[in-house]
Amino acid sequence: MTDATISGDASELASVREFLRGSLPFNELNDLELETALAAMRVSYHAHGERFSVESEHSGLRILRSGAVDIRDADNKLLDRLGEGESFSIAGLNADRGNVMALVIEDALIYRLPEAAYHSLRSANRGFDRYFSSQRSRRLRRAARYQPEPNAMLAPVSSVMTRDILTVSPELTVQQAARAMAERRVSSTFVLEGEELLGILTDRDLRTRVLAAGLNNQTLVRDVMTPNPESISAQESLFATTLLMTQRSFHHLPVLEDGRLAGVVTTSDLIVARKNDPVYLVQHISRQDSVEGIADLVSCMGHLMVEWVNGGMRAAQVSQILTAISDAVAVRLIQLAEADLGEAPAPWAWLGFGSQARGEQLLGADQDNGIVIADSVGDEDLHWYKALAEKVCDGLALCGYKYCPGGIMASNDLWRLPLARWKETVRSWTRTPTGDAVMRVSIFFDIRALYGDHRLAESIQALMLEAASSNSIFLAALAGNVLDNRPPLGVFRRFVVDRNGEHRDSLNIKKRGVLPVTEIARLHALAAKLPDVNTAARLQSLVSAGRMAMVDSRNLTDALHFIQGLRMDHQCGQIQRGEAVDNYINPRALPRLAKEQLRDAFTIIDEAQASVRQNYRAGMA
Amino acid sequence: MWRLKLRRWRWARRVELPAVIAAAWAAPLPLASSELRDVSFLICDAEMSGLDPAKAELLSMGWVRVEGLEIVMGSAEHRLIRNRRSVGQSATIHQLRDCELREADDITEVLSDFLQAAAGCVLVFHNARLDTAFLDRAAKQAFGTPLLLPTVDTLWLEQRLLQRQERPIGQGDLRLGACRDRYGLIHHSAHNALTDAMATAELLLAHVAKRGPGLRLRQLL
Repeated sequence: MTDATISGDASELASVREFLRGSLPFNELNDLELETALAAMRVSYHAHGERFSVESEHSGLRILRSGAVDIRDADNKLLDRLGEGESFSIAGLNADRGNVMALVIEDALIYRLPEAAYHSLRSANRGFDRYFSSQRSRRLRRAARYQPEPNAMLAPVSSVMTRDILTVSPELTVQQAARAMAERRVSSTFVLEGEELLGILTDRDLRTRVLAAGLNNQTLVRDVMTPNPESISAQESLFATTLLMTQRSFHHLPVLEDGRLAGVVTTSDLIVARKNDPVYLVQHISRQDSVEGIADLVSCMGHLMVEWVNGGMRAAQVSQILTAISDAVAVRLIQLAEADLGEAPAPWAWLGFGSQARGEQLLGADQDNGIVIADSVGDEDLHWYKALAEKVCDGLALCGYKYCPGGIMASNDLWRLPLARWKETVRSWTRTPTGDAVMRVSIFFDIRALYGDHRLAESIQALMLEAASSNSIFLAALAGNVLDNRPPLGVFRRFVVDRNGEHRDSLNIKKRGVLPVTEIARLHALAAKLPDVNTAARLQSLVSAGRMAMVDSRNLTDALHFIQGLRMDHQCGQIQRGEAVDNYINPRALPRLAKEQLRDAFTIIDEAQASVRQNYRAGMA
Repeated sequence: MWRLKLRRWRWARRVELPAVIAAAWAAPLPLASSELRDVSFLICDAEMSGLDPAKAELLSMGWVRVEGLEIVMGSAEHRLIRNRRSVGQSATIHQLRDCELREADDITEVLSDFLQAAAGCVLVFHNARLDTAFLDRAAKQAFGTPLLLPTVDTLWLEQRLLQRQERPIGQGDLRLGACRDRYGLIHHSAHNALTDAMATAELLLAHVAKRGPGLRLRQLL
């Protein structure tokens, strides 16, 4: 082969090469392995209706270049539907269960890696092999749990250290050194002899080794300094630095660049470096004395979220933190209102419902709240709670938490009740459970006390669990609602296979992806009388209670985390572009890998819904 | 096939066959009654500096084999051909420039390799008439005979299919890209002899799949 041939080939097969490189698991291959795969590849075209089975003439791994294929088992049950870039091996599918076949449902151009080449690649490349030896759900888990993003704590210490440092000679007196330190307003100085770092002298050394020891001010620095101080290299991460300083109780740490003193890092430098730390934000919220002050602090939340996400924080953590912040805002507003109105006439609690109760808020969350008051309250005192509720709800709105369009707010007389009336309300929900009514009230079943007497909230919840778990009609109505929100497999799969793009519609990833999972978890948790409200916690407790298989619980958790992650990335992008935040994702715009993972997530939700249908609505339409 | 044999026999009487031609012709011809899965195809495309074989010359060739109705990716070849005259304005179509072609192989060498690959195969072109006119002319200059290999034309196949379906054939409907569109085949952005050969190969497979199983070679000729 001449040079001309090689360069010609390289450019020519480029499109095929690029296609493979973007397809799972060919993205795992190195250049040489990819070329080997490419050379062994066969291409064929299959009309709608053709099928592949174990009896088919050719075997190996088939990758769809275009078109679509259904994988069906011996009973013709649909196991999977594959689109562009996805692959299947009939022999592999049949190793798990017998008589699986693939049916072409839309004319398909298929690349085939013959069996021998397929196996030699699998034995040569572990990542490639792992893809096939593992389940679809495991692929998703890897995506949800492994996100190699840089973290702010991994930035080098040189990014926060102070370069402007005071150095002294070991032959100075402590008085001269102290005077120099006072002039520069620093609490420590480095003792240098030439380029060499001999020691460190701090305020504390002057106090304990000079003053307390009764030495005079003409004592030499050399005699009281801390010799051979610990130091850290400028490339070390903030994380390693913080660890070293906290473990050894250092307040100052010299930073060396190429073995020479380059700066110093102090504990306060490290705190400054963490000014975007949510803990810092929550603490500041709790110190504000006005609604405006709080509103001002939380106004930057969108940008903080972008920063956390870029810092590698995962979706579950971000929503946990955003909820903690909105909790802190509500609590501080309540405290400010209490300061105005005086002490509450009777014990009470501020209730959060829905995503706030579950600890799963993202940006743009509505208010969903209420108040429960101890039954000892007199009618003449109820106005106190009304005034408080109005102040807090208005304050929340000022801070960016929109009024609930359904009116589920403490300022609404319906949701500011003494305990006995709350219990009455709950009983009325479960007495005549119509589908519509159940849908309206299901949000109340995610309940948490944010402030006040938690026992009041707990006794409402206990009644809810009691009433719901024993009421199969109520559960069936709830299950009906769960099944109303089907994952958009239809739309999405059509998108996968439809080249002409009739369904360019974006999909509402909150409604079609997040809510179904939370609803499934809520339904099972109520049926099992579990007090957890957080979806991941519910899914975990369901396993401990023996109500859900470990694998199903994990799959649903991963699906939720993955979808929330997509939603979060989407919102971060909107914030960075200065757009309003929403939940509409265009699956066509997703990278191929994310697209496949989203499909996996929806498939898992679909399966979980199928099991809801079996368990709660057997025999019903 | 018998007509092809007759023409070969006439040429063999007229000139002394060089080894490459003799070897290519010695391979057994596929039977017209063969099932397509038993036929080896060599799908080819050539780029030229113009449309008139008397004035223009071959600049590059691409080919790829189809065995058992599967494209054998590893068999793909793309060859540039040393030109005698400048490519002139045609460079805007095929993107080949004089400086690249100056280093390329001689036409005789490329044709010899092509004939070796083609032995025992049915050639496939999209618009065979144009390519074979150039190839035969070049072969006559290099070896003294035309190629005289069994040939299938996807353009003609598509034309006949549309006619049979009684669909109107508009201008441009038979171009390679337009034919591929009818099968939902993806557009290739690059345009050279090998991409076009691959594109033609995919079109052949799609066409054959469309016409249903059990097709025989006779139905393509």
